[in-house]
Amino acid sequence: MRSVTINPAKMCQPIGAMYALFGIHAAAPLVHGSQGCAAYPMRMFNRHFREPVQVAVSALGEDAAVFGGAENLVASIENVIARRHPDLIGVITTCLSETIGDDIEGAIRGGDFGKSKVIPIHTPSYVGSHVTGYDNALKSLVADLSGNSASEDGGEDRVNIIPGMINPGDVCEVKHILDLMRVPHTVISDISETLDAPLILPKPPFPEGGTSIDELVNSAKACGVISLCDHAGGTAAKFLSGKYGMTADSVCPVGVVNTDRFLDSLCNMTGVEVPYSLEKERGRLIDAMVDVHQYTYGKRAAIYGDPDISLAIAEFVSELGMDPVIISSSTASGKFLRRAKGITDGEILNGRDLYELQLAVEMVCPEILFGNTHCKLIADKEKLAFIRCGFPVSDRIGYQRHGITGYRGGIYLADLITNAILDRYGQHG
Amino acid sequence: MPLRLLDCDRSIPERGKHTYIKDSSEDILPLSNIQTTPGDFTERGCTYAGCMGVVGGPVKDVIHLVHGPIGCAYWTWGGGTRPNLSDNSNFHRKYCFSTDMQEDNIIFGGEDRLYKSIIEAYEAFPEVRGVFVYATCAIGLIGDDIGAVCRRAENEIGIRVVPFNCEGFRGCSQSLGHHIANDVLFEYVVGTKEPEYTTDFDMNIIGDYNIQGDLWVIKPLFERMGIRILCTFTGNSSIDEIAQAHRAKLNLMHCQRSTPYICELIKKKYGIPYIRASLFGIEQTSKALRDVATFFGLEDKAEEIIDDEISKVAPEIEEYRKKFEGKRIFIYQGAPRAWHWVKMFREMGIETIAAATTFGHEEDYAKICERVKDGTIIIDNPNSVELEEILIELKPDIFVSGLKEKYLSYKLGIPFMNGHAYEKGPCAVYSGFLNFARDIEKTLFSPIWGMIKKGDVNSHGELGRCEA
Repeated sequence: MRSVTINPAKMCQPIGAMYALFGIHAAAPLVHGSQGCAAYPMRMFNRHFREPVQVAVSALGEDAAVFGGAENLVASIENVIARRHPDLIGVITTCLSETIGDDIEGAIRGGDFGKSKVIPIHTPSYVGSHVTGYDNALKSLVADLSGNSASEDGGEDRVNIIPGMINPGDVCEVKHILDLMRVPHTVISDISETLDAPLILPKPPFPEGGTSIDELVNSAKACGVISLCDHAGGTAAKFLSGKYGMTADSVCPVGVVNTDRFLDSLCNMTGVEVPYSLEKERGRLIDAMVDVHQYTYGKRAAIYGDPDISLAIAEFVSELGMDPVIISSSTASGKFLRRAKGITDGEILNGRDLYELQLAVEMVCPEILFGNTHCKLIADKEKLAFIRCGFPVSDRIGYQRHGITGYRGGIYLADLITNAILDRYGQHG
Repeated sequence: MPLRLLDCDRSIPERGKHTYIKDSSEDILPLSNIQTTPGDFTERGCTYAGCMGVVGGPVKDVIHLVHGPIGCAYWTWGGGTRPNLSDNSNFHRKYCFSTDMQEDNIIFGGEDRLYKSIIEAYEAFPEVRGVFVYATCAIGLIGDDIGAVCRRAENEIGIRVVPFNCEGFRGCSQSLGHHIANDVLFEYVVGTKEPEYTTDFDMNIIGDYNIQGDLWVIKPLFERMGIRILCTFTGNSSIDEIAQAHRAKLNLMHCQRSTPYICELIKKKYGIPYIRASLFGIEQTSKALRDVATFFGLEDKAEEIIDDEISKVAPEIEEYRKKFEGKRIFIYQGAPRAWHWVKMFREMGIETIAAATTFGHEEDYAKICERVKDGTIIIDNPNSVELEEILIELKPDIFVSGLKEKYLSYKLGIPFMNGHAYEKGPCAVYSGFLNFARDIEKTLFSPIWGMIKKGDVNSHGELGRCEA
């Protein structure tokens, strides 16, 4: 195994925590680290979502590196409150503050921050990836906030949904399904509006939407929790299930079978039945897949993405008769490896970099590549049909708006795939 | 009241010292180049950003290896948001190299991992002419001796391996990173190669990063004059070009915040003088050409080129000037562009009503103050909350800034143009000035700005029904 990483497949943990906090209403991420630890990830969000994002930073300097940054942190929290009065501040650690060894919990415990909740989120950059950073953030949010004042009755028929690092469009599709099924729900970290905000003046101080603190508190009372991405939210789901006894499941509703499973899971948790309106959506997806199977069948696909997304797309392309010859995960995981082995006899790259993916592509010769904007290099070099998915997609417009989840998302993805095949290989290719 | 406290800064009064309203009867500058207030929603980057992202990164034929956890390398992949073009585009900015330091490396040290990484990266891309190693925050804390590792690796692979200690926590902004990159490149690279031959008309262009190909319109102007460009520091530069920079007769300094250090160092050691230049707009570009021509004794040739270039763009610029007359701009840039552009926009009939820099020093603010009219707001290191207040209060016709501020401006309904990466550049010299004007036209006159609705805000501060 190489020591050097060439063209990384993963980002570091703090950006995952920021992603999670943008889905909480009136929350302010506060990065405890260097200024670059805030500025650089902000640009990633700007380029992918084409939305403004605001991230505060404790701006640790040389003094803090030597003498510790705890004092700096308390001053930072007070500054954030004075400026923006957020409902919640997520203190996101970095390689810098974790290596210094600041006592974050101690610093926060000592402060009086009024109405603003302050939650520490440990995301040292030298552990895990953006995916585990998101997972850590979700775990911290539910562990610190759920159940705190669950005094009012009601809400026992609710289902908590933890989306993971998916797009606003994906979250919208999932909420659409829950609405059709009449299942009351709380999406924990809901970016569907906060990172797809309308342009209406005056601009609100915080974007509308997002999960409220009350919803986070009441998430304790729900009858079940589904994490759409097991690696990004699964730990929080397990926490809720372990502490409050609710049913926990994990399913990434991309493709026919996965969406069927998602509906089954909802039915089992709540006792509702799948309405005809959703059966029709399923039927439309099947119809769309019948329309294109002549183009998709037998096509060899290489798929790169965060572990759960990569697996779910691999399952969907299998439903289209394609052959997922390479399945690659941004983040190394035993669970991913086991599940990928069940889907393909081909190459499995478990947390390897994109240079490794490039070498695998040269060897295995797929015809279609799924991945984020950084995969374009490989697609261009090997002249592959290219489907953009994941984060970041910054070289095209609108991918964040269109969901690939649910039956309707499946139709969109099947169309994308087929059009990419037609563009690259022609009508009879 | 020359210094002004914005409403959003009431609880942080020290920010008042960074905000100044120009009054020519006084001799005041806003406070600058100091540590950001902890917890600020700052737009600033770190020392690594200045060193690797700005100055080191554009060098086109070396491996840029980032020593640290994975994020820092990822953010600068492909130049990040900086379109520093080069003619080695199959390699440069396409590949991203990192040691991806893991927890056990942080505990036990990362020197072995760094050494192996340099060797492996070189083996994967043996055609490169050097390796630049950048240390990020955690490395400074654990104390890896990257200089020693680089020497050992250099002996092994036989090409230059250059260490940059540019940990993000050093310094108060990107600015120290520029300085570190200047010092290191001077110490390790400049003077390590002799040019094949020299002429009496050899010049370096220092401090241009070839954003969207600026150098590809700058260079030919000087070449037509009979000047040979020995090195462009660092846009589209090879490491060998930087190595032979000490044999030029003159350094032309464009970015005067990120490169005065190397100009001074070269002057001290090799006796090469430098000239400061603004290569934006007709007036400033013509002045730069004349200054260089005077140095080399090429005045007639320069006048010929200036006449020719002006005749090609002046009629169109005049049309744009008529369209733009009376428009008001807020310029927020890294540092020098904030003052480079005051005159340039004035040539287009656009007046600067607010100016700000991310990492400017006193001399940058002095230059801004020289150029803007009384009453202009000048603000140092503005954060997003302050920017929002200024944008809402002043309602400039156009805001020229960078990506992080772009969507804030859009959400406030204020026309925006990217001055860091440009919209559709190049934007330097005469032909670029015309591109700039075209982009301003698109920005100002898009019909979409007339279609934004205003919502009712209810007593809870929430938006309700919309009215036209």
